[in-house]
Amino acid sequence: MEVLSPYKEATDVIFEAGGEPLKLCYQCGLCTGICPWNLVRSFLVRRIMHEAQLGATDFGSEDTWTCVTCRACVQRCPRGVEIIDVMRAIRRAVASLGIGTVPDALRISAKNITGVGNPLGEAPEKRNDWARDLKAKDFASGTEILYFPCCVPSYDPDVKTVASSTATILNKLKIDYGLIGTEAKCCGESVRKAGYEDTFQSLAQNNISLFSSNDVKTVVVSSPHCYHTFKNEYPELGGKFKVMHITQYLASLIAKGKLKFSKEINKKVIYSDPCYLGRHNDVYDEPRLILQGIPGLELIEFPDAREDGLCCGGGGGRIWMDTPKGERFSDIRVEQAAKKGADVIALACPYCFLNYRDSLLSTGKAESMQVKDIAELVAEAI
Amino acid sequence: MEEPRIGVYVCHCGTNIAGTVDVEEVAKYAETLPNVIVSRHYPYTCSDPGQELIKKDIKELGVNRVVVASCSPRLHERTFQTVLREAGLNPYLFQMANIREHCSWLHEASPELTEKAKRMVRAAVNRVSQHVPLEIRGLPIFPATLIVGGGISGMQAALEIANSNHMVYIIEREPSIGGHMAQFDKTFPTLDCAACILTPKMTEVARHPFIRVLTYSEVVGISGFVGNFRVKIRRKPRYVDEGKCIGCLICQEKCPWTALSEFNAGTSERKAIYTPFAQAVPNIPVIDTEHCVYFLKGKCRACEKFCDAKAIRFEQSELIFELDVGNIIIATGFDTFDAFSIPQYGYGRYPNVFTSLEFERLCSPTGPTEGHIMLADGRPPDSVAIIHCVGSRDKNYHEYCSRVCCMHALKYSHLIKEKTNAEVYQMYIDMRCFGKGYEEFYDRIQNEGVNFIRGKVAKVTDEPITEEEKNKLIVLVEDTLLGTMLRVPVDMVILCVALEPRKDANEVARLFHLGRSADGFFLERHPKLDPAATMSEGILIAGCCQGPKDIPDSVAHASAAAARALAMIARGKIEVPAVTASIDEDQCSGCKICNLLCPFDAISFDDEAKISRINEVLCQGCGVCAAACPSGAITHNYFTADEITAEIEGVLA
Amino acid sequence: MSFEPKIVGFLCNWCSYAGADLAGVSRLKCVPNVHIIRLMCSGGLSPFLILKALEAGADGVLICGCSPGDCHYREGNYKAIRRMALLKRILGQFGIEQERVQLHWVCASCGDEFVDVVNKMTAEIKELGPLRAGAISN
Repeated sequence: MEVLSPYKEATDVIFEAGGEPLKLCYQCGLCTGICPWNLVRSFLVRRIMHEAQLGATDFGSEDTWTCVTCRACVQRCPRGVEIIDVMRAIRRAVASLGIGTVPDALRISAKNITGVGNPLGEAPEKRNDWARDLKAKDFASGTEILYFPCCVPSYDPDVKTVASSTATILNKLKIDYGLIGTEAKCCGESVRKAGYEDTFQSLAQNNISLFSSNDVKTVVVSSPHCYHTFKNEYPELGGKFKVMHITQYLASLIAKGKLKFSKEINKKVIYSDPCYLGRHNDVYDEPRLILQGIPGLELIEFPDAREDGLCCGGGGGRIWMDTPKGERFSDIRVEQAAKKGADVIALACPYCFLNYRDSLLSTGKAESMQVKDIAELVAEAI
Repeated sequence: MEEPRIGVYVCHCGTNIAGTVDVEEVAKYAETLPNVIVSRHYPYTCSDPGQELIKKDIKELGVNRVVVASCSPRLHERTFQTVLREAGLNPYLFQMANIREHCSWLHEASPELTEKAKRMVRAAVNRVSQHVPLEIRGLPIFPATLIVGGGISGMQAALEIANSNHMVYIIEREPSIGGHMAQFDKTFPTLDCAACILTPKMTEVARHPFIRVLTYSEVVGISGFVGNFRVKIRRKPRYVDEGKCIGCLICQEKCPWTALSEFNAGTSERKAIYTPFAQAVPNIPVIDTEHCVYFLKGKCRACEKFCDAKAIRFEQSELIFELDVGNIIIATGFDTFDAFSIPQYGYGRYPNVFTSLEFERLCSPTGPTEGHIMLADGRPPDSVAIIHCVGSRDKNYHEYCSRVCCMHALKYSHLIKEKTNAEVYQMYIDMRCFGKGYEEFYDRIQNEGVNFIRGKVAKVTDEPITEEEKNKLIVLVEDTLLGTMLRVPVDMVILCVALEPRKDANEVARLFHLGRSADGFFLERHPKLDPAATMSEGILIAGCCQGPKDIPDSVAHASAAAARALAMIARGKIEVPAVTASIDEDQCSGCKICNLLCPFDAISFDDEAKISRINEVLCQGCGVCAAACPSGAITHNYFTADEITAEIEGVLA
Repeated sequence: MSFEPKIVGFLCNWCSYAGADLAGVSRLKCVPNVHIIRLMCSGGLSPFLILKALEAGADGVLICGCSPGDCHYREGNYKAIRRMALLKRILGQFGIEQERVQLHWVCASCGDEFVDVVNKMTAEIKELGPLRAGAISN
C-alpha cells in the first residue's frame, strides 16, 4: 500500500505562487461536478485542491495542464475559492522551478511569445498586414480609439476576418481609430494562466509603455482574453486606460443611434458566451443586444447559456495545446447547435473561433453551419 | 466635597503581573502620588482576603477612593465596586488600572513595563480624584410580557411566564398559533409526531388564564423603555365574529373560491374563508380578501348564507389598541430559503423536486396526500435523492450551517424507507449530528440501508444518457470519498433548504431597536453568555429569529428568555445604571443637536423651558451627546471631560 | 536614545477595549507606546479631548471603535467617522500631520488587528518625530 506523508514544503511552493486561496476548500466536490471536463473525461478538481493542501501534488501529472480556466467552478464554489489561481500557481511552480514538464505545444507557443511577441511565431512586422487594404491609420496621440485585434486575428488567415470586419465597421461609421505599431505584443493572458509569470510581466510592461507613450485613452479589443487582462490585470502594473470589448463598443453605438442596420440576415443564429467575457467579466447582454438588433436574424440560445455556458476548451493556454478528439468541448457545442437547428454559431472570441472552426470540420458540419464573429455579422448587416 | 483619601492596591496576579512588573516598586511609587494615603501590593487582590484588605482600609484608615491595578475592568470592575458598596462607599469612587491585559501580557518583558504600570497607576489615581458619587435608582415596571410570534418558542416562553401567574400577550400574525412546528410530520430523533406534542401545548396556551392570544395581529409601534413599554397592536379583520363563531367550519366547506395553502407550503389549495389547518388555535376562520370573490367583485356571500351562528361580518375593520408591558420577547422564527435561487437544482422546473417543507407536508397525515409519499403523478417513488446544504454553508447564499437539515434529512430517509421502501441517497458535505441522541439516530438510519454520498450536488437534470436514466431525474455529484463523478438516477429529489431570517427581519429590527449579525439574524447581547438578551434592555429574543435551531434548542432558548423576563418581573423594578448623561439646564442653549444624535431617543426637547431633557431610564450611557454638545452642557457621568483629562495628564506626565 | 512616541489610545468599551484585552489574553505582543483610556463608545469622544491629549504631550492619538454596523450603540462609530473628518481639517490648520490622529476599527475578537494597529501607528509616529511643543496651545 502506498503511504503518503504530508509534504508542506510543496504546499508552501504553491502558496508562494499564489495558490493560498485553496486553504478555504472544504472538499465538497462541487467543482468536480461542475467542471466541463467531466462531460468527456475524468478530471477531479477537488482532488487537485486536496493534494495541494497536503503537499501531495503530482507536478508531473498531465492534469496540471488540463484546467481551461473557464470559471464555472469558481462561480459556484461555496467557499469562494479562486480555483483558477490555485491551478495557475501549480503551473507557475512547474514552469519557474522546473519541477515537472510543460507540454511541448505550450512550451513552443510560450517560446514564440518570448521571441517574437506572438504565440504563432509570426514576424512582428507583419502584425498589421491584415489591414493593408483597409486604410486603417496608425494610432497617433489624439486618436480617439485604439483597436487591438489580438494575435490570432492578426495572423491566422481564417480568423483575420474578425479584425477586417471590425475595421470595416469602424471605417463605415467614420470612427476615429488607429492601429498601434508592430511593436505591440501578445497581451499575455494565456501564458500567465499557463504559469509563465515572467513572460507575462515583460509582455505587460512592453504593452503598457507602448500604450502610454502613444497616449492611448481607450482600447477596443476583439478578444475577451485581451479584455480581461487589460481591464483586470494591467492596472496593477500601471496600465490605466479604458478598455471595451468590441461587443460593448458596438452596443454603445447602437444605443447612441450611430450604428444602424440596413440589411437583413435571415438566419437562425446561436450565440456562445466566451468564458472571459461572460463568467470572468459579466458581459452577457451586449452581444445579444447587437444580434437581436440585426433585422431578420433569429437569436436562439444553447441549453446552457450565459452563466452556465460551456467553454470552447481554449482558455488557460489550452488553445495552444492538443485536445484529443472526443474530448473537445466545441464538438459538443456544435452538436448542440445543430440539434437546435442553428445556421450560424455567433462568437465573440478569436479562441472560440479557432476551436469552433475546427469542430465544424471534424464533425462534418461545415456544409450546414457556419461560425461567425459578431463583428462579421454586423459588417454584413450594416 | 471631602478631601480624597486614596487607597492603591497593586495586584501580583500570581506571576501574571509580578513576573514582569516590579509590583513592589509600583506600589511604592503610588505612595508618592497626591492624596494617596495607603498603597499596597497583594498576590491576588480579587480573592476574599484581598477584598477584605480594601474593606479594612476603608473602615480603619478612612480611605474614600480606591484604585486597583490588576486585570481588565471588564473582568473585575463589578467585583471591586461591590467591595466598595459593602464597605459603605459609593461604588463609583473607584478606578482600575489594567496592568495585566494591557501591560504585563501585551508587551515583551523589559524594565519599561514597570514604568508603564506606574504611568497607568498615576493616571488612575488622577482620575479617581475626579470621581463623584453616582446614584443608582429604582423604577417600578409593568409585570405583563409581550411575546411576538406564536411558534414553539413563543408558546414555550409564554407558558413559562404565565405559570408564575403573570400576564402574557402572544401576538401572532397568522390566523393560528403553532408556527413552523405545526407543519412538521415527525420530529427527530425520537420520531414522535409533531402534532401530538404540539397541539396539547397550543390548547394549553389558548386556555391559560394568564395568556391572551392575539392572532392575525401585528405590532405596529412601540414606545417607552425597559419595564415600561407601550406597544401598539394592529388586529387585522377576520370578518368573522370571534364571539359568535362556533368553529363548525361549514363556511369553509361551502366557500367556492380557492387559493394555495400556505400551511401546506403551496402543495394544495385552501378556501378563501379558511382555518390554516384542522387543529388551528383559535379554531376560527378568516376571510382572505385577496381571494374572496365578494371582496373582489361584490358577489357571493355563500359563507354568510350557511353560517348558522351568524358570525360572518363583512363590515369588520381593523382594530388598533395599546398594551403596557415590561418585557418583550421576540420569537418571530425563520423563513425557508427560496429554492428558485439555485436553478441548477431544477426546483420549479421539475415537478418531482421538493423542498424540505413541502416534503414535511407530503409526509403528514393531514397533508395534501394524507401522508402518502408520492410523485407528482401519484406513483410512489422507487428512488429518492436528498440534497443537503441547499443555500447553507455556501458563500453565494448563506455562509452559516442551518443546523437542522442533516437531522431532518435522516428523518426523511426513515420515513421514505418506512412508507415506500424506495432507495434513498443522501448527498451531504459533512454529517452534523451533534445533539442528544442524534448520532444514535444516524446509526439507526444507516442500519436501515440508506446510501450516503459525500459530495455537494452540482446539478439535477432530466436529460438521460443511458436507458435506465430515462424518465428519471439525474443527480450529478462527485463522490468525494470514491473520487469519481456519479450520475444518480432518481424519481424524487428533496432539497434541504436553509433556514434564513424572516423577509421582514429588517423592519422588525428597526421597530424593536435590535441589532442583526452578519447572517441577518437578530443579534444577541453576548453569543455565549447572554444569548437571549439583546442590546436593547427589556427586549429578549428566543428561537430561530436569533439563528437556526432545532426544537430542543428553541425550547431551551425560549425558557432562557422567559427566565430573564421573570427575573425582572420578580424584582418588580429596574435599576437605572448610573453611567448616563445629564444636562446642566442652566447651560443648555436649546440647540437640539443632541436630540437627533441620541440612538435611543432618550433626549427630548422641552418646548416650554426651551431646553433638552434626558430620560435617564432610556439613556444607555454612550456619551455621544456629551461629545457633541456645543455648550458643554451635557455631562457623561463617570466619563466626564475632567475625569478623562485627568487620566490623559496622568499617562503623559 | 531613540525617540519613543507617546500615544494616547481611546478605546470603546464593547469592541476595541475587549479586543485589546484579547490581545493580552492571547499573549500577542506589541510596543508599549500606546496608553489606553477606556470610553463607552468611540462616538462619545469629544474632539476637545483629542486636542487635549496632544496639548498634554502626546505625539499621537489612536481612536478605536467597533466596525461599522457593530456599534453597541447602533451608530456611534459612524459619528466618530464624521467627527474625525472635521477634526482632520482642524489639525491641518494647526499644521499637525494627519497621521498623528488615527481612527481604526478593532472588534472584540480582533486582538491581532489591535496589535498591528498599535505597531504600525507607533512606527509611523516615530517616523514623523515628536509633535512640536505648543503645536496646539499656540
